[in-house]
Amino acid sequence: MKLTIDSPVTRQARLAACVIPLFVIGICVALSCRPVFASSAKEIFTDVTQDAGISWRQFSGESPDRFLIETMGGGVAFLDFDGDGLLDIFLVNGGETPHGKSPTPLKNSLYRNLGNGKFEDVATKAGVDKINFYGMGVTVGDFDNDGFPDLYVTGFPASALFHNNGDGTFTDITDKAGVKNSGRWAASAAWFDYDRDGLLDLIVTNYAQLSFDNPKKCELNGVRSYCAQVAYVGLPLTLFHNNGDGTFTDVSVAAGLEKLPGRALGIVAIDVNDDGWPDLFVARDASPNLLLINKHNGTFEDAALDAEVAYDENGIAKSGMGVDGGDINNDGKPDFVVTNFNDQYHSLFTASSSGVYVDRTAVSHLAGLTKSYVGWGTKFLDYDNDGNLDLMLINGHINEEIESTRLDVKYKEPPLLLRNTGNGTFQNMREIAGATFLSTYLGRGLAIGDFDNDGDSDAVITTLNGHPILLRNNVGQNNSWIGFSLQGTTSNRDAIGAKVMVTSSGRTITRWITGGGSYLASHDKRVLVGLGGNAKPVNVDIRWPNGLSQHLSNLPTGRYHPILEPKAPNPFNQIHK
Amino acid sequence: MYDLSATENGTQAQAHADLGLQLARSGNLERAEAELRQAVDLEPRNAEFLSALGTLLAMDKKLEESTTIFRKALQVAPNNSTVRRYLAANLWQLHSYAEAKKHLQILLQQHPDDAPSRLLLGMVSENTQDYATAAKMLGSVPVEVIKRPESIAALASSYYHLHERDQARDTLRLLSGDTKAVLLGAEIADQGGDYDEAERLLQLAVASTADSGALEYRRALVQYHAGRFSECQRTLQPLIETTNVTPQAYNLLGWCYHRGNEVKRAVEAFEHAISLAPGDESNYLDLGRILLAHNFVPVALDVATRATTQFPNSAPVFNLRGLVESRRLQFTDAIHSYAHAVQLDGGNVDSRLGLARAQVSAGLISDATLTFNTAIQRFPKEPRLKVAYAELLLKLGDAGDVVANARAEKMLRLALAIDASNSDALYKLGNLELNDGRVAEACKNLQQAVKFSPQSSEAHFALARAYRRLKRTNDAAKEMDLYKGLKEKELESQAPEASVPSDEAHN
Repeated sequence: MKLTIDSPVTRQARLAACVIPLFVIGICVALSCRPVFASSAKEIFTDVTQDAGISWRQFSGESPDRFLIETMGGGVAFLDFDGDGLLDIFLVNGGETPHGKSPTPLKNSLYRNLGNGKFEDVATKAGVDKINFYGMGVTVGDFDNDGFPDLYVTGFPASALFHNNGDGTFTDITDKAGVKNSGRWAASAAWFDYDRDGLLDLIVTNYAQLSFDNPKKCELNGVRSYCAQVAYVGLPLTLFHNNGDGTFTDVSVAAGLEKLPGRALGIVAIDVNDDGWPDLFVARDASPNLLLINKHNGTFEDAALDAEVAYDENGIAKSGMGVDGGDINNDGKPDFVVTNFNDQYHSLFTASSSGVYVDRTAVSHLAGLTKSYVGWGTKFLDYDNDGNLDLMLINGHINEEIESTRLDVKYKEPPLLLRNTGNGTFQNMREIAGATFLSTYLGRGLAIGDFDNDGDSDAVITTLNGHPILLRNNVGQNNSWIGFSLQGTTSNRDAIGAKVMVTSSGRTITRWITGGGSYLASHDKRVLVGLGGNAKPVNVDIRWPNGLSQHLSNLPTGRYHPILEPKAPNPFNQIHK
Repeated sequence: MYDLSATENGTQAQAHADLGLQLARSGNLERAEAELRQAVDLEPRNAEFLSALGTLLAMDKKLEESTTIFRKALQVAPNNSTVRRYLAANLWQLHSYAEAKKHLQILLQQHPDDAPSRLLLGMVSENTQDYATAAKMLGSVPVEVIKRPESIAALASSYYHLHERDQARDTLRLLSGDTKAVLLGAEIADQGGDYDEAERLLQLAVASTADSGALEYRRALVQYHAGRFSECQRTLQPLIETTNVTPQAYNLLGWCYHRGNEVKRAVEAFEHAISLAPGDESNYLDLGRILLAHNFVPVALDVATRATTQFPNSAPVFNLRGLVESRRLQFTDAIHSYAHAVQLDGGNVDSRLGLARAQVSAGLISDATLTFNTAIQRFPKEPRLKVAYAELLLKLGDAGDVVANARAEKMLRLALAIDASNSDALYKLGNLELNDGRVAEACKNLQQAVKFSPQSSEAHFALARAYRRLKRTNDAAKEMDLYKGLKEKELESQAPEASVPSDEAHN
């Protein structure tokens, strides 16, 4: 570089040229503007797994017998088990099979959030490290309303309920509670209060009949492979009613669920018809999906056929695995996403006023984006806090041999982060989503939660026979947001089933505290609402699970608001903190 | 002045013609032809000479040349009914039915009661599946019909197609005791679904012939068509116990066992047929298809592989292999098999269709598109290609290709223009319209789809959707019930893939 002697004018001009951008940035920071330079430079999600100290690995029991269960584990949950205000992570291990043994003892992990981006595995101390069955999924809910979240771990040929003792430990109360679900291969489960008695009940998806004594033999391209799911006979759901005394009663038959057998994998509890009672969308694998409408009398009626979500347009039951419900077009009604097998596309159903869902898989671009993928965990999340629900999908095949017969389908597949453009379509954010989205995995579970409490949705993904991936969101906090931590009093304490409507700048954003959602997973129960560029205080209307309505006005943004369900029917409360 | 040479030619020509006719009457066709050719050479515009030559050539089975000669004669003498009738007869034998029909209609306009023309028009109409005209024409000339077993058969066939079973049977009873004629009648009855009548005729033939084996085989075939598979097996049993058992008998026995779900026995029967007729690929093809139908896919692959070794130049055999490989999801292998079939026989539509489908399944969309476009150009009248291509285009439309749906619709409409009863095209078009919000049109097409394919669960499902959109709740419920019933049967018949057709499974 040639050195020149600048004139004072030139020097001043150069200095101005350096200083002005800094000045502008400084102004923006002060006014809480969105710093354009910073967000465009950052990836949306950063893999912080190693930094967090998470080293656990899933074990699938993969064996020459090729039991289908070996391909399907990966349960994960965000929960604040110790009530310190920080989300912890629970990971469910798979298990051994007759010829698929682990060199080391298998354990689940409970990673306690230490608050500084680090996590510590306390599963053994907590008493949730071991289960005596093949582990699948987990659902978190405070079934006894004592303020501490409990864990229901699903699997084969049993499931287990761990009661949170409130002191950092759990007790296995499965037998006492009567929720073992013996002999069944359970997948996703969800806590929800179907009878609105203020106590969380438990719905369990059961997949199929399985026996480790009877491996099925199938081949793909001459190589022993996993059999297609239709080789396994499906099972009905199990519904456990919470008796309020630490025990549950299996009411599956009374509820009308026994007559709906099928290979169920994913479930979400959400009020579909806005009558204040929670309904269920069940994703099933080569069995028709279920849309179980709560009849208010302890029974459910399947409306999936009439709603046109049971089958695809050719009358074929797709291979549904994961499901989530949320309002993607801000019309106040829940829409659904269901992950399926390759060539089937992951489905997007949007609600209409007639009760018939519109299949928007193709027009939303979801079809083109997911054609070659086998999908599992999925969740709506507003990753950028612009007020529109985006979508994360976790993918990964089951048969390694697929690459010898197909040129467009791979064994390991990338997760997808799809941005809701606001005009009915999704956009693949692959290029800037982060390195994780440019890599491929045998992805399975997905849980969403704000583990660093910075006002944006983070994620944790599980992979078959691999490490989980903890993703920290870098961009959401750059937009305005507001969060709610609801606590029921007459409603269940977790407020599962609550409907939250945030009104901001003439726009109403609707969110629900759902039971279940995704695949084998459980999520942050707080409601996080992105507000885009609007930082002004907002009004909120809450419909509590037991039917009470509450209005709150002028709530400041940029923070989580703890909200207690009013005991008396006084719907108008103003809460300032 | 007059042309002496013309007169001389005319005299000579007549002489040749006269000699030619004489020779023809005495059976010396070769010399007769030579003489008549000379007559025509000398007087090329003499309709009589041309007609005689044309007739002689027809007798000698030189139909194309005979037809050319008759056309020339007709040009010279357009009002000559005999020439026109002979021309029509040639055209009928050459399967040029449209032109034959044209000439016969001219004849009947001029001479409405001309029995031979009525007879011939009846035969042509039956060949072109215009059964109403065939029955009318043939029925109007009973004297002519009764002389010819083929005409009796054509009339009976027409009656069967018009669902006039009693009249068909009465017509078949006109057939004499001649075995050949009776067999023809039995075939017509069999094709018409009148299996009892077919068996009755075959029993008549058995009574009057020494070759009962062939007739018993025919009887077993009728029983098979009638769905009486156990009876078919019983009829075949004595045949296969003889020393001169035919491979056809084993083949039919295999089909009977297949329909009775006795797969192991079916395989044994076909293997016998193969050993008796190792040069006949049809037994391999039938066995392969039956194994696929029962989901014994690995065994089907064995059979297909053996067949390709035995018949390395057979496109149908490589098609079978491609089909089996596709069933095993071995799409890249299927592509090779089908591509080889196309190389062996570029005129085989199934090869090209299989190749394109395998390419789609393997994700080779550009290759598949090229295959479809080439095949459609080559076989413009083949609706299956258009429907399959439309299926690909619809998938591309789902994946975001904005013009693909419009192109798919065009393909489907072209397919329906060729074959208005193509239920697959009707179903896909109906679905497309339904997704596009054109519910009334969708409903019409889907109603047609279920009419032509009442066993299609997907068509009933789609029609239920359409009815629901039109708020025809009861109709929607009915269609859904039909869908559910059919779907249950489909799922029951979808046994998991089996390794071997026996009680013992082995690796």
